[in-house]
Amino acid sequence: MGGGAPLEVRHDDAPPRLETATPLEGDAIRPRPVPGNPTVGFVAFLDGIQRSHVRAHVGTLPIVHGAVAAAIRERVSRRMRTWGTPRRSHALYLPFPALPPEFLSSLAVHCELVDTLADHDGAAPTPQHPGDLAARALTAIQRRREREERHLAEAWVTSASAPLLMDGGIASTELVARSEHVVGAVKSHRTIYVTGESLPVIVGLREGERTTAVVLTSPRRTPVATFYLRLREPGARGPFFGLVRVEVAHRDAEAITERADLVSRWLLAERTPVALPDTRWDVMVYGIRECEDYLSAILT
Amino acid sequence: MNTTPEVLGRVVATERKPNTPHEFHFWTALDSPVGIGTIVRVESERPVGGVLPQIYGVVTEGFGYTDLQTPLHDVLGSDGVPGASAIAPTERTEIRLYTAAVLRHVPEEPLQPVPMGTVHLATELDVQVALRMDSYVQGAATRGIPVGLYRAGGTQAAVHLDADFLLGPEAAHLSISGVSGLATKTSAVEWLLQSIFTHFPEEKGGVAAVCFNVKGPDLCFLDQPAVQLDDADRAIYDALKVPAEPFKDVHYFAPWTGRGTQLATLRSHEDLQENVQPLTWGLRETLQYAEVLLNKDDVDAKADALIDFIKERVLDQVFSEPRFEMSIEVRTFSDLEKWFSTVLRAMESANQDVWRTHHIATIRKVRNRLSNISTRCKGLVTDDGTVSDLPFGEFRDRHVYVVDVANLEEDAQDLVFARVVSQLREHLEKRQLGVSQVVVFVDELNKYAPADGPDTYVRKMLLDIAERGRYLGLVLFGAQQFRSQVHRRVVGNSGTALFGRMDPDELATPGYQTLAPATKARLATLEKGQLMVRHPHFGQPIFVRFPRPAVMGGRDGVTRYPPAAELPLDAAVTVALRRLDPSISLSWVQDTLALAGDHEDEILRARNRTLQAKPDDVKAFFRAQLKKRVSAEPAARRPAPSLRPAPDDDPYG
Repeated sequence: MGGGAPLEVRHDDAPPRLETATPLEGDAIRPRPVPGNPTVGFVAFLDGIQRSHVRAHVGTLPIVHGAVAAAIRERVSRRMRTWGTPRRSHALYLPFPALPPEFLSSLAVHCELVDTLADHDGAAPTPQHPGDLAARALTAIQRRREREERHLAEAWVTSASAPLLMDGGIASTELVARSEHVVGAVKSHRTIYVTGESLPVIVGLREGERTTAVVLTSPRRTPVATFYLRLREPGARGPFFGLVRVEVAHRDAEAITERADLVSRWLLAERTPVALPDTRWDVMVYGIRECEDYLSAILT
Repeated sequence: MNTTPEVLGRVVATERKPNTPHEFHFWTALDSPVGIGTIVRVESERPVGGVLPQIYGVVTEGFGYTDLQTPLHDVLGSDGVPGASAIAPTERTEIRLYTAAVLRHVPEEPLQPVPMGTVHLATELDVQVALRMDSYVQGAATRGIPVGLYRAGGTQAAVHLDADFLLGPEAAHLSISGVSGLATKTSAVEWLLQSIFTHFPEEKGGVAAVCFNVKGPDLCFLDQPAVQLDDADRAIYDALKVPAEPFKDVHYFAPWTGRGTQLATLRSHEDLQENVQPLTWGLRETLQYAEVLLNKDDVDAKADALIDFIKERVLDQVFSEPRFEMSIEVRTFSDLEKWFSTVLRAMESANQDVWRTHHIATIRKVRNRLSNISTRCKGLVTDDGTVSDLPFGEFRDRHVYVVDVANLEEDAQDLVFARVVSQLREHLEKRQLGVSQVVVFVDELNKYAPADGPDTYVRKMLLDIAERGRYLGLVLFGAQQFRSQVHRRVVGNSGTALFGRMDPDELATPGYQTLAPATKARLATLEKGQLMVRHPHFGQPIFVRFPRPAVMGGRDGVTRYPPAAELPLDAAVTVALRRLDPSISLSWVQDTLALAGDHEDEILRARNRTLQAKPDDVKAFFRAQLKKRVSAEPAARRPAPSLRPAPDDDPYG
């Protein structure tokens, strides 16, 4: 088997877009200063990582090795330790229909195999382009990572009763999306949940300000409340510097203001220690970065 | 092999910091009890040749760092406010990474880089194995000499030196270095001598110690119990199986003061005089080591030849020279002066420039140099040849002989040192000393065997001892503030080295390059009672604790036993003679001296001869030594000066 560059660096996200969302506090998106002082609230942090490489080609078909891991790091007396059991998996991601069964059987002895065309419409022609197949493999790996993260988040919700901050959105599972103990922090803004006229509100947020909370709905996902929060003053660094989108359970529209302010204070408290040298330090809290470091160490 | 279930750390190795056969790295929890000097055991998880290797090491360096890439990140994260970091909700990930120097691989072969594995605190048995003490402290034929107690993380283990490597014949000698003022060097030697006397195997013969007291009252009270000995000290004595007692048998030797009325030592309190003896030499003893006192630049080969002639043809015999009509028996400096006068007068009378190949100028020069020895070494060298010396040939097992030269001039100290050590060597060579091993303790060794400076007789002698003494049983324990200032061949031949707190400048010299910076830092801040030990069996230096010596310290000694004031002549003579005959009173001495009417020198000579002869009838012998014979009728008594307010039981009264 040969090596190869990580697929993640070649992967393009979905195209940037704006999406409309319904405000939960009033009828328009406005900047709202977070009242009170930053308060420590989160007791644990959840993150997942993935690694993928094209290990070999059978003809033109790429065989991708994917490794994923997820963990919750619990903060006890200001020190981090692992909560529960971290999730790890290694698998080869490859298009089953395009490969001889005996070849798959021989590989399966050594490693878990994942079919990258499992959800492919059988009626449609089988993808042939190596890039397309690699992208499908990457998607499968991402899903695997999300599955591991979801598994841990559900475990937390089931057995713990304290706030957990997870990297990314919380809407992938109803149990988590409805839990008051899970908060999601989204660092990338490929999709911005405002209409065009409200975009300057987000861009103009000052440090310690949040936007009006909105509700996100999707046919396949549980509705959640979300709002933007500026963790650090952007200065001349660009509109998204220090900007995170926060997801919380959409349980009680009446209480969302209080809830959004409280969660904002928790997140503002996590600005120290700074997550440097991570390049996303402006939007990444230290607990998530520490979790990533931990996962990098165990994902050998 | 002993195993400890609790894992203290894990071995790590990276390309930048690889493990080698002699060094490895491991990390621990932040609150682990590891520190510089801690001994650890590595348990490998991969068998080699069917055996799981175990590696023992001592921690020599420690590192601690966080995931910060630069301190600037912390400044940024705290908005430049130092206190802000302290209230951050999360403490940064932090590591304790240690470097350990390998003490021993088990099995010894094949010698490989230290493998990955778990790290454990060494147990007492581990310490024995790690320091290879198992070969000499276990079994029937033990020869371990406890040097201190190793303590780390709850482990306490006795650290033993191998007698064969401390006192010979395999290796020998000990060098102890440390800054002045902490009394560590003297205390450590006193402790170690007690340990040697307790644990040196009897089947190896007798062992004694000769200690030169070169300053103050340091070694003046070795036979007195310590004033300060707390429970912690006693616990160490118990653990190392050494009785917390002063030395049982100590003999003190000191020259007379310049006036000659009492011994030049701070151990002059009358309650402690039983084991104090004069150290005096005559012409024969001194001339044998004339080279020590004579400046090489001043005394050339011609002078040397004349001195050799005197030693061989004149000393201790009747010298006749028919041409000069002279016949002189030269036994004392006074005799020698007469001999020189006679020879020179005869040459002048005969108008001769040369006598027996010796030029008159050379004879005058040698006369000048030799004649003033008794002046330069007054109190030690006597004109009349009275000798009071160490008991060469009758040394006793587990005895300490202290030679107090603290009040002598430098030349005289050199003479004492040269002669005593040479005599020890000669007697040991002939196996006639009385013991098979003798430890010679010399403080301020840098003065006697300096790294730089002239090649003196004393330095040559010390080099010789350092290189060949172990075969004879002549063992040098040298102490100095700066090891770098002692001759390399002396310290290089010291099989064992002890280090107390060290001066940082000294630690910066090349001799300490092999020590890790953290080890040096620890050495620079060692507490009193702590030592770093190097020994041939130990793969690396080890830190130990030793107890306060169970003997009275010099300062305590002079407080409890204040030195006696210099007495008037009659009182001084009384004190000296009363040691031989307690019935002698001051009034008797005063009467005797008044009748004799001798010069002060004559009186002191009479006293010295009496002390040397130790006669049965002290009074009669002393009277007989006085120049003017004392008649039976006492002369009119002159008023005697009062020594002090006389009590009813005045011992001189």
